[in-house]
Amino acid sequence: MHKTLILIAFALLSLPALAVGQDAPKEELPSVEDLLRGIDQNMVFETRTATVTMTVEGKRRTRTFTIQSYGRGVDESAMLYLAPSRDKGTKMLKKGDELWMYLPSVDRTQKISGHMLRQGMMGSDVSYEDMMQSTEMAEMYTASITGQESVDGRPCWVMELVAKDDSVSYPKRISYVDKETLIPLKQELFALSGMLLKSWTMGAIKEFEGGRKFPTKMVITDEVKKDSRTTIEFPEMTFGIELEEEVFSQRWLERK
Amino acid sequence: MNIAALAKLAGRNATRKPLRTALTAGMVVVGTGLLVVSLSWLNGIFGGMIDQAIGASGHVRIVKQEFLDREKLMPLYENIPEVQPILDAVTAHPDIVAAYPRIMGGATVTVGEEIGEVFGLVQGAPAEYFTKWVQLDAALTEGRFFEAGTEEVVLGHEVAKRAGAKLGDEVVLLGMTQDGSISPIKGELVGIVRQGNGLVDRGIFVPFARMQWMTDIPDGAIEVVAYGREKGGAIPLAAALRDLPEVSGLSVQAWSESEMWANMLKMVDAIRGMLVFVLVFLAALGVWNTMMMSVLERTDEIGVMRAMGMGRLGAVLLFVGEASAIAILGGVVGVGLGAIPAWYLTKNGIEIGEQVTQNIEIPFSTTMYAELSPDVMVQAFAMGLVMAVIGSALPALRAALIQPVVAMRNGR
Repeated sequence: MHKTLILIAFALLSLPALAVGQDAPKEELPSVEDLLRGIDQNMVFETRTATVTMTVEGKRRTRTFTIQSYGRGVDESAMLYLAPSRDKGTKMLKKGDELWMYLPSVDRTQKISGHMLRQGMMGSDVSYEDMMQSTEMAEMYTASITGQESVDGRPCWVMELVAKDDSVSYPKRISYVDKETLIPLKQELFALSGMLLKSWTMGAIKEFEGGRKFPTKMVITDEVKKDSRTTIEFPEMTFGIELEEEVFSQRWLERK
Repeated sequence: MNIAALAKLAGRNATRKPLRTALTAGMVVVGTGLLVVSLSWLNGIFGGMIDQAIGASGHVRIVKQEFLDREKLMPLYENIPEVQPILDAVTAHPDIVAAYPRIMGGATVTVGEEIGEVFGLVQGAPAEYFTKWVQLDAALTEGRFFEAGTEEVVLGHEVAKRAGAKLGDEVVLLGMTQDGSISPIKGELVGIVRQGNGLVDRGIFVPFARMQWMTDIPDGAIEVVAYGREKGGAIPLAAALRDLPEVSGLSVQAWSESEMWANMLKMVDAIRGMLVFVLVFLAALGVWNTMMMSVLERTDEIGVMRAMGMGRLGAVLLFVGEASAIAILGGVVGVGLGAIPAWYLTKNGIEIGEQVTQNIEIPFSTTMYAELSPDVMVQAFAMGLVMAVIGSALPALRAALIQPVVAMRNGR
């Protein structure tokens, strides 16, 4: 009886405190759809060209590639390797669901399919399968905002994304989305079993024409392989320019 | 009684009952004959297998321990980055006849424009390694072996068949670099080999420099395979090479020290031991039977001899000596008779066919030969004497324990 009275008294005394709390302004949770739309507005583009530097830190050595990259929407991209000399002239073409690679040393075009898709591109931590995925999250995932956290001093929404079907490479993702820029500063990519497969961070955010914000540095860590990390940097990048139709064709692949 | 007299008596006793002597000798003939054939066969099969395997893997193998730990996954990144100093140091050793660098990795094979799905194990090494030690030039069914410094390719016949490749075709091999990047090379198909085992028939053979390029191991190799003067000297040779500063930190292993061969040799020894045990036991059983009959029939005679002063030891030596005399005769005949089929199998072998060997990944010939040697014949002859001694031991003991008076009374 005594204890019950004490509890009731405590509850009654707390009411004023709650009333005070109610007066402080609360941060409004964005809707998931708005958040995803905001991410896609920055990350998805009509056309883009970029010079890319990809540094692959492996078990035994570090290699750096220089790539000229072209992109159109989410379904078409082309890459031409400029360095090192061993890989110079290698090209990659993604069109829809197909990925092709031109190998200059043997003058052959190889379709990347089946088990090869899971291999790292040029031995990096970015797989060919990663390149194949559409970056429109809203199409592939069901998302929910699970909280807030800080990443590199930036306040972020924590968003959990669960794939709508099993064909997706990463059935679950946790994205840490910068509240201001709506760039996913960090992503954790999980297997169906819940095992963490990769971590993907984005930084060095720059603002481009039209107010688009885009990361110019990405670091991908393979959490399974360990001792392996790939850094992708964009020293030069331009959006919205006109690209030749031929760039996204087999003819371009085989052109010397 | 002195030994000479006992021996003379034993020899005379051996001829007293010709039929029984022939029966006893017959046991020894069969036992030793079978030993000659089976030991020759065993030595031939396993000896041939070992010779072929170490022809490919060397008497001594130098490789990173980290590679050995995960060898089944072929981790190309666990390579020896600078292999020339090791080759120079190893070949300078007085007991080394030859040493070669080697790289192996998987690749798909294509003839024509479309990259295909025929898979094979690519081996890159100097041409001399393949022709002199793996003996692939003897295995050529078409064309010739590649020449050093070229972009030529030799295929195992199964790979060539599945890829639809013929001599003169441009073959594209799509492999991986040590970092896991797709890496292609191409070359002209100049030869097709067939040895009846999976390792060769499903193999792809390229010059060492081409393999270095494909795997992006420019100055290195996965392993060094070294050959001494004979395979039996591999263990001390490996011990000597371990002292070289150039191989510090690497695994230096004699062929017989590898887990697979160590287990295989133990198994062969066990099989050999069991074979000898079974044949000696069975022959000894036969000798025991006939010698026991002899002791029982000659109880009174033994009693007389014992009464005349022959001691227990003398009685034992008499019967063991008699059996040994018979075994010497039986052993000579047995070894002679056993040597005939053993010699035939050494010369001609038995064809077991590719159906059996093509799925075996260790080098295994399609024809199984025996290996008849003086060692085998001496061993079999010695086992014949063992058969006699073991078989006659119990009857001889029985003879030794006979009481002279009892023996003479019962024999009347």
